[in-house]
Amino acid sequence: MAKSYLLSSSPHVFENIDVRRLMLNVILALLPAAAYGVYLFGVPAAVLILTSVASCVILELLFRRLTGARDNYRDLSAVVTGLLLALVLPPSTPPWMVVLGALASIVVAKEFFGGLGHNPFNPALIGRAILLMSFPAAITTWHRPFEALTDAATTATPLNIIKLGGTMADVAAGMGLSSPSQVYLGLFLGNRAGCIGESSILLILVGAAYLVITGTIGLSVPLSLLASTAGLSALLGMDPLFGLLSGGVVFGAFFMATDYVTTPLPTAGKIVFGVGAGVILVLIRRFGGFPEGVTYGILVMNAFTPFLNDLISRKYGFVKGGAK
Amino acid sequence: MGVKTFKGGTHPPERKEAAKDAPIESHLSPKQVVIHLNQHTGSPNQPLVKVGDAVVRGQKIASSDGRLSIPHHASICGVVKRIEPRPQSNLLDGMAVVIEANGSGETAFMPPLDPFSCTREEAIQRIKEAGIVGMGGAGFPTWMKLSPPPTKPIDVVIANGAECEPFLTVDYRTMLENPGPLVYGLAVCLKVLNVTRGVIALEDNKADVVPVLEKAVAEFQAGPGAGKGFELEVRVLKTKYPQGGEKMLITAVTGRQVPSGGLPMDVGTVVQNVGSLQAIAEAFLEGKPLIDRSFTVTGGACRNPKNLRTPIGTVVSELVPQVFDVSEDLARIVFGGPMMGVSVPTLDIPVQKNTSGVLLMDSREAVFFEEGDCIRCGRCFKACSCRLPPALMNEALLADDYAKADALGLLDCIECGACSYVCPARVRLVQRFRVGKIGLRAIKADQAKKEGK
Repeated sequence: MAKSYLLSSSPHVFENIDVRRLMLNVILALLPAAAYGVYLFGVPAAVLILTSVASCVILELLFRRLTGARDNYRDLSAVVTGLLLALVLPPSTPPWMVVLGALASIVVAKEFFGGLGHNPFNPALIGRAILLMSFPAAITTWHRPFEALTDAATTATPLNIIKLGGTMADVAAGMGLSSPSQVYLGLFLGNRAGCIGESSILLILVGAAYLVITGTIGLSVPLSLLASTAGLSALLGMDPLFGLLSGGVVFGAFFMATDYVTTPLPTAGKIVFGVGAGVILVLIRRFGGFPEGVTYGILVMNAFTPFLNDLISRKYGFVKGGAK
Repeated sequence: MGVKTFKGGTHPPERKEAAKDAPIESHLSPKQVVIHLNQHTGSPNQPLVKVGDAVVRGQKIASSDGRLSIPHHASICGVVKRIEPRPQSNLLDGMAVVIEANGSGETAFMPPLDPFSCTREEAIQRIKEAGIVGMGGAGFPTWMKLSPPPTKPIDVVIANGAECEPFLTVDYRTMLENPGPLVYGLAVCLKVLNVTRGVIALEDNKADVVPVLEKAVAEFQAGPGAGKGFELEVRVLKTKYPQGGEKMLITAVTGRQVPSGGLPMDVGTVVQNVGSLQAIAEAFLEGKPLIDRSFTVTGGACRNPKNLRTPIGTVVSELVPQVFDVSEDLARIVFGGPMMGVSVPTLDIPVQKNTSGVLLMDSREAVFFEEGDCIRCGRCFKACSCRLPPALMNEALLADDYAKADALGLLDCIECGACSYVCPARVRLVQRFRVGKIGLRAIKADQAKKEGK
């Protein structure tokens, strides 16, 4: 027979959703928060985002070429990592520093372990953690929105103000609000000092809703993480609503703790992951040296993921016992 | 009451419109037939004829003494030309009897038998002698399903008309065109099992056959004698792949779960494909063994998608181009449906007892992807019809950790393909599970041997 036909194992049809499509969904979901960050903090924020994305893509390509691995840039996962890394950094971070962060994220945290699908820790958070440890001053320097990012004009984040013993009135003053009662709405809308992408809870939730509606992420991890954050905050006598709205917990819950590769697969495992991350981050906020603990909360739970994957809850036919 | 279904599953495009409205066309006079000796689950058969023998349509030509065995029959009149290995739709070259037609119209059927007055043993013997197997694809001997041990009482028989595989329409046409034999065959199963409750189950995308089936049920029950005392019901289920999987069908109809490692009889159910039921009816009413079957030819590279009825053993290439035509753009040939069918290298393969369709995919449909790395998105967890963790089973098998794969439920996988269908990284999940199951069974057999069993 002259013509040969394609032979393959079943199934012979596939759903039209590939890794690239899922990554594209995440990128689209991050755009509102990213755009708002650029609106608040101006050109330097845009430069930081572009530098981060470009370094991640280029470093991944270089590393894979160098090690003889298959090119991977088409799956857009490096773009997602780059975007996430930039959005959890202060807008005044120097661009050369973000290149180092990208190196830590892509090369150390991801490619050293075998690339997409094999990394135990969230790459963007590893990048942020390494920068935070290496340049603690630069990564905790904050500026008010719409002001020049100079050394003279630094401020504190709302979370930092409380950490240092400030009151809600101080927070309101820091955000340029006349009354402490306006703080919650102000935090929700996002006109405050902080990381590029973490300010507006509203826009983060818009992106998160898109991910949930498209089936890109589930709600088990984010909801359990937010619930345990609020619950433990209340238990320790901290304002739970303030705890949720300030800092990066909402961003982390929907965009970092939902990373496919580094979070558990079974629903029970996801819930333990979320609760654990929430507990750790609140303990860091309350007792640790840093005002914020989302990064470490999630990274520590990443280490538990292989064990949490064993929490398989339901199996067909299992309830009635084995066949005899 | 809402439309019932099972948990998990997925929704591949149905693509049934192409052949749905084409009545089943009979083409019962091929020039030759190639009848494989191993068309069923169970021990392979030995030929009862030799080269040069004249055979008659309906004559038994192969059988074995094995426990699971069923005989095969000549599907046309003619002369045995060769007994040799021939390509088969399981991709192996199985031993086959090649019969060249001589144009005679003789038949050698068994005498008709009244299933409602004969003994249970006689009825089961008839179904066995007729060589009937599960015609939905598995090829499991039907008489075995109808002979549960006394410790497994059955209380419901389900006629499987779900036809959840995309593209295929043969069960739909069978229900539409032959509802009478179908209902009769279901009643035979009920009689043999001494059960009163029978359910004909189908997906709601075929809801238009419900009145046809209900009319046939009413007519059967109003008919002379036999139909009294059976509670027959037509049940519409949600259209979702793999609704026609035995376990999923049982869950949807009865709410019961077949235990891990168990059979439908463990939860008091027996499931029969609608085509098998028609064959049962013919075996009693006409004494005819399973020698013809209906199947769908369809796909983007099929110029005239339709439903056919041919003698078993008809080589598909002999039907081209007179019966159906194939376009230049043919890129992949699948025996069965796109989710569970087997892709084959040629059309020179005969129709078997379990061939439900021949799918001719064009170059646009016949996609092929390089395997990527699992990104653990968890989509396979949601799609798995057996509620297994495919991504974790894949991980265990990649690490050769068979004990872990076993603990995760690898042997419960029914290979429906839903996980591979939804996988965004195109990980070859089902393929790995298929190979893994073979490996795991071998390991278990080894262990059993060592333990001196």
